[in-house]
Amino acid sequence: MKPIIQIRDVHKYYGDYHALRGINVDIGEGEFFSLLGPSGCGKTTLLRTIAGFEDLSQGTIHIDGRLMEGVPPNKRPTNMVFQSYAIFPHLTVAENVGFGLRRDPRTPAQKAAAVEEALEMVGLKGYGGRAAHALSGGQRQRVALARALILKPRVLLLDEPLSALDKKLREQMQSELRRLQRQVGITFILVTHDQEEALIMSDRIAVMFEGQIAQLAPPQELYRRPVTRQVAEFIGVMNFLPASVATVNGARIDVEVAGLGTVELAAEQCPGGARSGKGSVGFRPETLTILFEGETPRGRVAEGTVEEVTYYGDMTYYGVVPDGVDVPLTISMRNLVGRRVLERGERTRVAWDPAALVLFC
Amino acid sequence: MGATGANRGQPAIMDAKTRWGRFRRSEAASGLLLISPTALYALLMLAVPLAAILLYSVLTDGYLTVEWTPTLANYAEAWGDPLYRQVMLRSLFVSATVTLVTVLLAYPVAYYVSFHVSPSRKSLWLFLITIPFWTSYLIRVFLWKVILGFNGVVNSSLMTLGIIDEPLTFILYNVNAVVITLAHAYAPFAILPIFVALEKIDRSLLEASQDLGESRLLTFWRVTLPLSMPGVVAAVLIVFIPTIGDYVTPQLVGGPEGRMISNAIQLQYLRLDNYPLGSALAVSAMAIVTAVSLVFLFLNRRFLRVRQQ
Ligand SMILES: Nc1ncnc2c1ncn2[C@@H]1O[C@H](COP(=O)(O)OP(=O)(O)OP(=O)(O)O)[C@@H](O)[C@H]1O
Ligand SMILES: [Mg+2]
Repeated sequence: MKPIIQIRDVHKYYGDYHALRGINVDIGEGEFFSLLGPSGCGKTTLLRTIAGFEDLSQGTIHIDGRLMEGVPPNKRPTNMVFQSYAIFPHLTVAENVGFGLRRDPRTPAQKAAAVEEALEMVGLKGYGGRAAHALSGGQRQRVALARALILKPRVLLLDEPLSALDKKLREQMQSELRRLQRQVGITFILVTHDQEEALIMSDRIAVMFEGQIAQLAPPQELYRRPVTRQVAEFIGVMNFLPASVATVNGARIDVEVAGLGTVELAAEQCPGGARSGKGSVGFRPETLTILFEGETPRGRVAEGTVEEVTYYGDMTYYGVVPDGVDVPLTISMRNLVGRRVLERGERTRVAWDPAALVLFC
Repeated sequence: MGATGANRGQPAIMDAKTRWGRFRRSEAASGLLLISPTALYALLMLAVPLAAILLYSVLTDGYLTVEWTPTLANYAEAWGDPLYRQVMLRSLFVSATVTLVTVLLAYPVAYYVSFHVSPSRKSLWLFLITIPFWTSYLIRVFLWKVILGFNGVVNSSLMTLGIIDEPLTFILYNVNAVVITLAHAYAPFAILPIFVALEKIDRSLLEASQDLGESRLLTFWRVTLPLSMPGVVAAVLIVFIPTIGDYVTPQLVGGPEGRMISNAIQLQYLRLDNYPLGSALAVSAMAIVTAVSLVFLFLNRRFLRVRQQ
C-alpha cells in the first residue's frame, strides 16, 4: 500500500485543551478510510488539520509526499464535504458545482459539460439550473459531493456527510458513496460516529478516543479482535465477564472466567496483550447459542435463566444469566422455522466457544 | 385564515353577524388591534400633514394668503426654475456622496467586528459604535463646525504644524463640510445592517470556498460580498433617505453654496410665506427619494430571494 497521507506525531491544542494527542497514521492511495469515535474525540479536528483549516501544534502531515506545513487549504490536493454541506445559497446548483473551476483552463462550454457530468455521476442530472437553496437534504449532499469530486482531488474528506439524512436515505447514500469511491479511485477519509456506517463502508477504520487512535484495523478485525474494552463497547454489542489470567505461557493463556470455568486462549485472542492478574473476557451475542430441546452442543455448555426476551421478527435477543454470575449475557438467535421463542424465567442451556472469546487485561 | 378555509364549500351567503363574530376572533382582528394605536398615531402625524402638503402644492399663492384656485404652476416652477433644479441636484449629489462614503467606510468596520472580534466582545463593540448617539445631533453638528471652522481644530493644528500658512477655507460653509458632517452622523446606521448581514453568513461557506481553491480575497469577492449585499442595500437606504432631506447640517455648516432642498423649502414656507411652492418642492423631493428607494428595494428583493432558505 502506497501511502498518500502520512500523519506523524500530530498534536493540537486549543488553548489549554489537548484535542489531538499524538496521532500517527498512514492512509493508502485509493483507500476508504474512516475516523470513528464518540462526540468530541477530535475527529473533525483531525480532518480539518488535513484540509489545512487548523494549524498543528506539533508534528507533520505529508500529502502525496509533500510537507503540508504552511500550505493553505486552497493549495492542498484535498477537498472537503462539510457536515452542513456549505452549499452557496446565492448560486445555482451548476454554479455551486462549477465553483472551483474558475481557474481551470478549459473553455466555458467544456466546463459546463464537466459540471453536467459531475451532476450525472451523483444522480442530479438536469438539476443544474435550480436555485441551491431549494434543494432537499439529500440533494444538497450530492451537490457538495459533485462540487468536490469535479476537482479530482487526491483525497476527499467527508465530515459526517450522512448524519443529517434519514435512515433510508442514509443507507442508500452509503452504498452510493462506496460505489462512487470505487469508480473514481480517490482516497476517501470519512468522519463518522456511527459504527455501523464505518463497518459497512471502510477498508480500514481508526477508532478514536480523547484525541488518540485506540485501534486502527480493517472492519472484521476491529469487530472480532478489539484491543480494549472501550473499543469493544463502541463497536457493536459485547458481553463481558470478569476473568483472571492464571498463567501466560507463550502462545497459550489460561484464564479463569466467572461462571464459565477455565479456558485456554490463543495469543491472538488477547489483541491488547496479556499479563496475569484480573481482567475481563468479552464475546459477541452471535457467538453464544441457546440450546433447544434435543440439540447437541458444539463447544462448551453453561446453564442459566432467561431474564429478558426482545423479539425483532427475524431475530430474538435474549438476556440470559448463567449460574454463578449476576450479569445477563445478550444472546442473539435467528428465528428459524419451527424454533420457538423462550419465555422469561425459563431455564436454558447456552453453548459457547472459547475460540470466540477476547481477553482484556 | 384557518376558519375561512375550514368553511369553504358552504353557501356563500352568510349571516353578517357571524362573519363579524368570526372576524373579531380571528388573528387578523387581534393583529389590527395591536397595531391600531401606532397606526392611528402614524395616520395623524404623517398622513394628515402629507395630505395638507399635497393639497397646498396645487393651490395658488396669494399675498399673505393661499387662494383656492387649483394650479400646476408651482410644480412648473419647482421643476423648471434652474435655481431649484440646482438645489435639488445638489441634494441628490450630497446624499449620494454621503451614502457612498458612509457605506464604504462602514463596511470594513462591520467586517472587522463580525469576523475579527471575538464573540464575547462583539456587543461591547456595537455599544461603542453607538456612542455618538449619546449626544444630540445638533451638538454633533456644532462640534463639526468647531472642528472645521476658520480658527477651528483642523486649521489651527495644520497651521501650528506649519503645513499651511493660511486657514483652509474649503472645509467649512460648503458642500464638503455637509458631506463630512453627515457621513459621520450616519456611520452607525450603515454599520449595523451590514454587520447583521455579515453575521448571518455561515462561516463554513467561506471555508468551502477556500477548500475549492479560492484565496481569501476571492472568497470575499465571490461569497462574502454577494451574501452581505442585503445589508449593504439596507445601509444605502437608511443613509440615503434621511440625508437627502437633512435640514440642520446644511443650515449650520453648509453656507450659501451648501444649501439643500430642505433649506429651500424652509425658505419658501417661513421666510417668503409661499406655502404652495414650498409644498410643491417638498412633494417633488419626496417623489425623487421614492423613485431612488424603489430601485434599491427592487435590488434588495433580488438578493433576498436568493437568501431565503
Ligand atoms: N475552535 C475550537 N476551540 C476550542 N476547542 C475546540 C475547538 N474546536 C474543537 N474544540 C474541542 O476539541 C474537541 C474535539 O472537537 P472535534 O470537533 O474534533 O470533535 P468531533 O470528534 O468531531 O466530535 P463530533 O462527533 O461531535 O463532531 C472538543 O472537545 C471540542 O470542544
Ligand atoms: Mg465533528
